[in-house]
Amino acid sequence: MNGLITLKKKTKPMQIIEKIKTNKLLSNPTEIQKICLEKLQSNPLPNLKSELWRLSNKSKFLKFLDFSLNGSSTNFEFPYQNNSQNIIRLIIGENSQININSENYSINELNNEELITYIKQNVSSFDQNENWSELLNLCLSFEQNILGLRIKGKKIPPLEILSHATHNSINAKTLILIIEKNCNLDLLQINLGTENSSLSQSTYFCLEANSSVNHGMVAYGENKSNLLNSLNVIQKQNSEYNLGSLHFKFNYARFEIRIKQSLGNAKTNIKGMQITKNDEQIATYTKIEFNGPNGFLDQINKSLADDRSHAIFEGSIIVPKIAQKTDASQLSRNLLLSNHAQIDTKPQLEIIADDVKCKHGATISQLNEEELFYMRSRGLTLAEASKLQLGSFFKEIISFIPVPKGRWDLLNKLLKQD
Amino acid sequence: MVNENLVKDVVKEPYKYGFVTDIETEKISKGLNEDIIRLISSKKEEPEYLLNFRLNAFKKWQQMKEPNWAELGYDEINYQDIIYYSAPKQKEKISSLDQVDPKLLETFDKLGIPLTEQKKLTNVAVDAVFDSVSIATTFREELAEHGVIFCSISEAVKNHSDLIEKYLGSVVPATDNYFAALNSAVFSDGSFVYIPKGVTCPMDLSSYFRINSGDSGQFERTLIIAEESSSVSYLEGCTAPMFDTNTLHAAVVELIALDDASIKYSTVQNWYAGNEEGIGGIFNFVTKRGKCLGNRSKISWSQVETGSAITWKYPSCLLLGEESIGEFYSVALTNNLQQADTGTKMIHIGPKTKSTIVSKGISAGKSKNSYRGLVKMGTKAIGAKNYSQCDSMLIGDQASANTFPYITSQQQNSEIEHEASTCRISEDQLFYLQSRGIEFEEAVSMMVSGFCRDVFNQLPMEFAAEADKLLALKLEGSVG
Repeated sequence: MNGLITLKKKTKPMQIIEKIKTNKLLSNPTEIQKICLEKLQSNPLPNLKSELWRLSNKSKFLKFLDFSLNGSSTNFEFPYQNNSQNIIRLIIGENSQININSENYSINELNNEELITYIKQNVSSFDQNENWSELLNLCLSFEQNILGLRIKGKKIPPLEILSHATHNSINAKTLILIIEKNCNLDLLQINLGTENSSLSQSTYFCLEANSSVNHGMVAYGENKSNLLNSLNVIQKQNSEYNLGSLHFKFNYARFEIRIKQSLGNAKTNIKGMQITKNDEQIATYTKIEFNGPNGFLDQINKSLADDRSHAIFEGSIIVPKIAQKTDASQLSRNLLLSNHAQIDTKPQLEIIADDVKCKHGATISQLNEEELFYMRSRGLTLAEASKLQLGSFFKEIISFIPVPKGRWDLLNKLLKQD
Repeated sequence: MVNENLVKDVVKEPYKYGFVTDIETEKISKGLNEDIIRLISSKKEEPEYLLNFRLNAFKKWQQMKEPNWAELGYDEINYQDIIYYSAPKQKEKISSLDQVDPKLLETFDKLGIPLTEQKKLTNVAVDAVFDSVSIATTFREELAEHGVIFCSISEAVKNHSDLIEKYLGSVVPATDNYFAALNSAVFSDGSFVYIPKGVTCPMDLSSYFRINSGDSGQFERTLIIAEESSSVSYLEGCTAPMFDTNTLHAAVVELIALDDASIKYSTVQNWYAGNEEGIGGIFNFVTKRGKCLGNRSKISWSQVETGSAITWKYPSCLLLGEESIGEFYSVALTNNLQQADTGTKMIHIGPKTKSTIVSKGISAGKSKNSYRGLVKMGTKAIGAKNYSQCDSMLIGDQASANTFPYITSQQQNSEIEHEASTCRISEDQLFYLQSRGIEFEEAVSMMVSGFCRDVFNQLPMEFAAEADKLLALKLEGSVG
């Protein structure tokens, strides 16, 4: 705790942590909040020296916590038009009871009891350091900001779920999705930061047998916005989970992915990307556990760091003895565009089973000069050629995010900035 | 299905260097304190600055904590229960090899290390270290003709004090880490090599470390300096008898390469690994580091790690000089309950520096084999390049293979590539080889040897053959 005290001297006091410590955070905590507060009370900060946190910029991290808690949300407009009737849109914290029952499918909100049981089950195995983001999220998340859905059936229209922060405050949003057997779902999740704000978002997925989910996670902020985004996925046998994620424009952002193939025989595809500029720091941590045989993973993470920014990727793949015939690959590709930027990457393999195929790779480089030269020799300017190359670097990831083309201009917006 | 038992049988070859030489030794009392350090220093008749170096390191060591990040999981080491100095008794100072106790010569003969100079055909000069002292160094006159200094570090302290004072601790500072600090405080002996400007060392130099007593630790220190445009190839081998206690080995190796110099450092480590239940064996906590100080200098580490209960070893390169090159080739084999946490650090500081890492891990039994490596591109490493490849092979379903590469870049104009894979001995390949009339065990050892070929190619010839055999022996009985 000595470290904490010295850090505090340099920065403003972290309101939230002080309040957790002195038990003054909430006047009337819910049952879940009580459980999580208890886990954090004696030790409210993660171990900043541990592998999971050691690269985190300390002052930025403490800044994240230095806002007052805001549970209510103002009316919020979706950042883009909905020009298709066939999309279900939800904003966490603003929707009243959701119950959609149609011929082919149903989307129902979990009742309070189900919700509490489900969260309790998860929390019981949480570790103070490793699951700190989730614990903090549940401490801060008010009842109206926890959205739990049970989804059944087929031919479900695409779902869009939005979480957003409000000015000068810290907001916590929690999303729990239980995908029933044989269900197929396309989901786009958007996390929006605003100026001077912190958003804590936790998402829990439970994919029952034979279900499949295409999940898009797009997060972007504005000036001085912070994000702590955690994603917990449990996959039952024969389920398929595809994740396309994109994080950019955050002063400080952490994206933590934990996926467990609880019985093996499942498929996971992850394509993630993070773009950092100015003095931003964006980090992605992933932990994929195979708890049964015949698991499959294909993961690629791309980072692009410019100016004085710092991009981090740490991925671990854990294959215990039971997970025979696992086929897992992980690739980290990074572009370093400035002399002052920094990239850290650490793909890890921990394997005990012997009959497995596991591989990982990592590269850090800049734009390919030969390709640039070729394009310039064809009459493109350097700027155009770089843009084209960056575009192709992005495309693999962005095309994996389940967003119908032409509906919103994210891709264009992104490329214009670079 | 591959027969599990057959595989197990392949790894079961008993450790053949496990004998103890019955020889009168001079030991100091157990424990570690300032007086012990002064005693070691006075026994070695060391100058003042070296004693201060030791005491300073000891002070720092007392303030340090034993690292636990490697999660090796071993019983706490009682540093007061170790003898820090043990030497075979010798009545007088030896002036030639004939005066060395025949028992010692016999020991090294048994280990296959030729100390008698009639074995000149091998053309390798050897420095043999027995417990805490250097017994003999061969081919010294021939080397001296070329200006090469090859002697024990104690001798170097006496005869080449200026070089020791200048370079000792310049690559691995006394306070670098817990075990380096411990070594700096109590180091007993080791080898010293100095290659003068423009000289290509006429023969391979080698040191051979033997731990004989069960209750003493071995703390040797090796210092190799290659002046401008010189080159040297250095080999290191180690064995220990079988005891059911754990013996601590904490060595420090420092290499310095000036402009256009090249150093090749090869190790075949075959310390006693403990028995099948994991009782006994050497704790091998070693700090090895090379500094490519000069432009276009080159340091190449190659290692075959087959022994030790626990290995904790990261031979590293600091690439300071422009266009300097660092290389790391490693094969680590673990069996039974062995644990190996090994890898390298390539710190690119100068422009256009290059490094290559090839690491092959083979884990059998219930062992744990991890690659842990750092590649760092500093802000001035313009045009630097790194390529790393880490392959693991798993034999049996209880062994674990881990890969932890740490990659950091602060220079946009640099390239880093890393790849890692895990596989097992494929049944198809085994079947194919067997269908061609090759015995099962031979097929396995052929495949293991193929798996390690990239590394074996980097070893000096005599070593490569030995390493291949060693691996085959160690694996005997473990492939199923």
